[in-house]
Amino acid sequence: MNIDIKHIAKLARLRIEDGELEKFKNDMQGIVEMVENLPSDIKDEPLLDPENSMKLREDKVRENKYSRDELTKNAPHVTAGCLVVPKTVE
Amino acid sequence: MELFEKSAFELSQMLDKKEVSSVEITKSVFNRIYSVEEKVNSYVTLDKENALNKAQEVDKKIANGEKLSPLAGIPIGIKDNISTKGLRTTCSSKMLENYVPPFNATVIDKVNNADMIITGKLNMDEFAMGSSTETSYFKKTKNPFDLERIPGGSSGGSAASVAAGEAVVSLGSDTGGSIRQPASYCGVVGLKPTYGRVSRFGLVAFASSLDQIGPISRTVKDVAMLQSVISGHDRYDATSACVDTPDFLAGLKSDVKGLRIGIPKEYFGNGIDSNVKDAVYNAVKVLEQNGASVKEISLPSTNYALSAYYIISSAEASSNLARYDGVKYGYRAKEFDSLIDMYEKTRSEGFGDEVKRRILLGTFVLSSGFFDAYYKKAKLVQRRVSAEFNEVFKDVDVICTPTVPSTAFKIGENIDNPLKMYATDICTVTINIAGLPAMSIPCGYDDKGLPIGLQLVGNKFCEQTLLNTANAYENIIGGFKSPLL
Repeated sequence: MNIDIKHIAKLARLRIEDGELEKFKNDMQGIVEMVENLPSDIKDEPLLDPENSMKLREDKVRENKYSRDELTKNAPHVTAGCLVVPKTVE
Repeated sequence: MELFEKSAFELSQMLDKKEVSSVEITKSVFNRIYSVEEKVNSYVTLDKENALNKAQEVDKKIANGEKLSPLAGIPIGIKDNISTKGLRTTCSSKMLENYVPPFNATVIDKVNNADMIITGKLNMDEFAMGSSTETSYFKKTKNPFDLERIPGGSSGGSAASVAAGEAVVSLGSDTGGSIRQPASYCGVVGLKPTYGRVSRFGLVAFASSLDQIGPISRTVKDVAMLQSVISGHDRYDATSACVDTPDFLAGLKSDVKGLRIGIPKEYFGNGIDSNVKDAVYNAVKVLEQNGASVKEISLPSTNYALSAYYIISSAEASSNLARYDGVKYGYRAKEFDSLIDMYEKTRSEGFGDEVKRRILLGTFVLSSGFFDAYYKKAKLVQRRVSAEFNEVFKDVDVICTPTVPSTAFKIGENIDNPLKMYATDICTVTINIAGLPAMSIPCGYDDKGLPIGLQLVGNKFCEQTLLNTANAYENIIGGFKSPLL
């Protein structure tokens, strides 16, 4: 199978430089061939697992124990308590 | 014998009898770190000051006669993908090089509540993607049994530190074998609990439906003790199970009379090193001589598990790692001309090649036109694998297999060959696919003196059966070897 690495990388928001393209393409080709080893006789059935249902939390607001400062302190660019990104509209 | 060489169980008894203080134990472990860390490279971050302060607090509590947990005052190392409030948590990635979590993972709260002493954060494959700890952005951890070889991965630092005496016990995480495989390579005991036994809240997500935190140590008793500390339902993790947490140490037995062992023929085929096969068969024979019964079983879908694992884990990874965008936390590229340009440069500069390969594979198998052929089919294989295990566990209590097909390979040997690297996971990934508990314990050494691991697999929430079997084996053979450093 011919994998369009540039297209996949674009979907994943990764940039593969031209010099690396061949290497990634070869690696991916090999990996995809490996994962193609799946049975052909498998029948389609619902994938829900009733035995392992999750215990969902109540839809109730709980007091937040973190301050805005604590939560934004790891962000690369913060101004006036807001996360700053490049301009997206002209 | 120095304090750092003793087991948590022994140290706990000494603390109880006031023969030693937590400060003395903690100092002994840090002295060991300072003498061997240059060779082993287990840690990404050390936290000596806080560790000694905490040890002092624990000593005060002991002096005041407070009733403490059995692991109070015992030093523990933490894999660097488990969030520790105020202590850098990097996932061994450039992306999170300077990330300091504002909260603790639930297991860290539990470790703190048990008054354990956190020594620092342990090296790993970047975002837990790898089988050798070579994909770490920071350093290459060495196998304490042979410093030219890899410790395994992705919890390589967690296994190597315990083997080298740089931690008494540690926490790792296991998505496809990342606790058991390094435990096998480094000659220590590792347990991957049943999916849902331990809260994943605060574990940096790789593949959420497979990830599970678990203990690593030099003895089965220590693993049992730590497993009791970290288990339990957590309202912050909807996938954590509402089951009771037993006292695994109190429940520990040391005989295997009447235990039914299954040997799946699919795990002993071509590709399994003869040294490994012999050691595993011998270990099973030892259990049989002590009263266990052994029968051959078959798990026919095993051959498809590696494919299903890489499809499911990469698909989930590609979604989970979409959060690293240079906006909320982590690395951000220095120069960019637009938002999209910033995302792309940040992610391309911040992630290493193995992480990029997994994201690309995950994006591919989830992309339009390929979803049914890959992801959906892999999920159906997962269901078939689970059904086969359910059937087998009607007749056996424990399944014995090799943990890894061979012993530790040399640093650099497989790094440019992802497929060869992935093949080392062949015996472990199936267990994650089925959500079962499994342990690796040392069961011998090859002709180069490198440890070989026996994998014990149990039915869901039957960790006690695994611990009992492992404990019996450890008692029979008289304990496991430590490396000479």
